[in-house]
Amino acid sequence: MSRDGDAGAERGTGGPPLRAVPTTAAADAPDADALLRAVARGDERAFAGLYDLLAPRVYGLVRRVLRDPAQAEEVAQEVLVEVWRTAARFDPARGSAASWVFTIAHRRAVDRVRAEQAGADRVRRVAASSAETPYDDVVDQATTRLEQQQVRRCLKALTELQREAITLAYYGGYTYREVAELVGAALPTVKTRMRDGLIRMRDCLGVSVG
Amino acid sequence: MTGVDIHALAGAYALDALDDVERAAFRRHLAQCEACAIEVTELCETAARLADATAAAPPPQLRGRVLAEITRTRQVGPASADTGRARAGTGWRRWAAGAVAAAVLAIAASGVTYVIQEDRVRQAGQVQAVLAAPDAVVQRAPAKGGGEVAVWTSQSRAARVVMLDGLLAPDAEHAYQLWFIRDNTPTDAGTLGAGMGNGVRLLEGVSGGSLAVTLEPAGGSVAPHEPLLATVPLG
Ligand SMILES: [Zn+2]
Repeated sequence: MSRDGDAGAERGTGGPPLRAVPTTAAADAPDADALLRAVARGDERAFAGLYDLLAPRVYGLVRRVLRDPAQAEEVAQEVLVEVWRTAARFDPARGSAASWVFTIAHRRAVDRVRAEQAGADRVRRVAASSAETPYDDVVDQATTRLEQQQVRRCLKALTELQREAITLAYYGGYTYREVAELVGAALPTVKTRMRDGLIRMRDCLGVSVG
Repeated sequence: MTGVDIHALAGAYALDALDDVERAAFRRHLAQCEACAIEVTELCETAARLADATAAAPPPQLRGRVLAEITRTRQVGPASADTGRARAGTGWRRWAAGAVAAAVLAIAASGVTYVIQEDRVRQAGQVQAVLAAPDAVVQRAPAKGGGEVAVWTSQSRAARVVMLDGLLAPDAEHAYQLWFIRDNTPTDAGTLGAGMGNGVRLLEGVSGGSLAVTLEPAGGSVAPHEPLLATVPLG
């Protein structure tokens, strides 16, 4: 196993590169929290606004985990409709609207990947990743937003094992047991690296809740 | 799982990197441990920021489909009105995990889950190692009747990964069998499960020749029966 990145970092040739889409600068972006509150009251126009704000990251995240554009489109649709359906359950005291949406998206994508078990689908996903742009290139293309620059900078500030554990789990959809196997580290070490790596990310990004 | 161990799972939980049984255990823990509940809320918010680096243009037709579907989709009320379940701990996060939690495996089933998981890990690890090797090359060939056979070869790993993808599923009495063919002499390279049109096999060694696929009685044959459904030259 290469140790230089996440599950998508295999170098490969051919295949279209991931296209990162510049999203609206944070300063003048409509507020996702306000939009989601309006969506909870049944406001379809607010939902369209929320779609424009968050769909590129919902789709991008799901595609990154699933490695399959067709499945990603299907799952992204499920996620976005689920956001509409359950908007009233969003609780701002527990985090931001964007992270609520991305959490649903990630959970769905990971459930889909795990359901594939060890079958051909899972290998196809892994294999497809070899045709994708290496991780750093993706990040390089996605630096138009301040937040993206921050995420990249903060990921780079982690130790190699912290970064590897976090990116394999989050972008690769692997359990920590699988991550331990893939990187050849002990289970308690991987657990710890995930936690202290995220704590370091949290402090680096200045995340606070409530 | 001991109480000391379980706090350490906060990071893996925030990354969705626990299996169903562990996630259920950790969520029970969250209801009782305020420190973990606070930490997990922040770590989930942090993990979600990783989505920022993945932004990609959704297919243009997705927007219209989603906006049309919501006009037909009834919204639900706040969770407190929906179920009597406790909202202690990290409310929305607990809810987000709830889709799976609804199907959480009974503890009695956890032994079985573990075995499956371990096999999957072993296979995923070895297969991944070949696919991720810097020198991995892939060769593909279409199969007669549909689907394709792909072979990844890593000289540095001295192994190959063979994938049968979308071949016609045989009946329960038959299975696809793989053969190394060298100097016109076939050697058994493994048999898929009966009735399986998809499968992955890890093959040790990288000697040359070609790889062929035939349809055989379930369990495999000692020599291949014509026709060869696919032949992949091995570099
Ligand atoms: Zn705790």
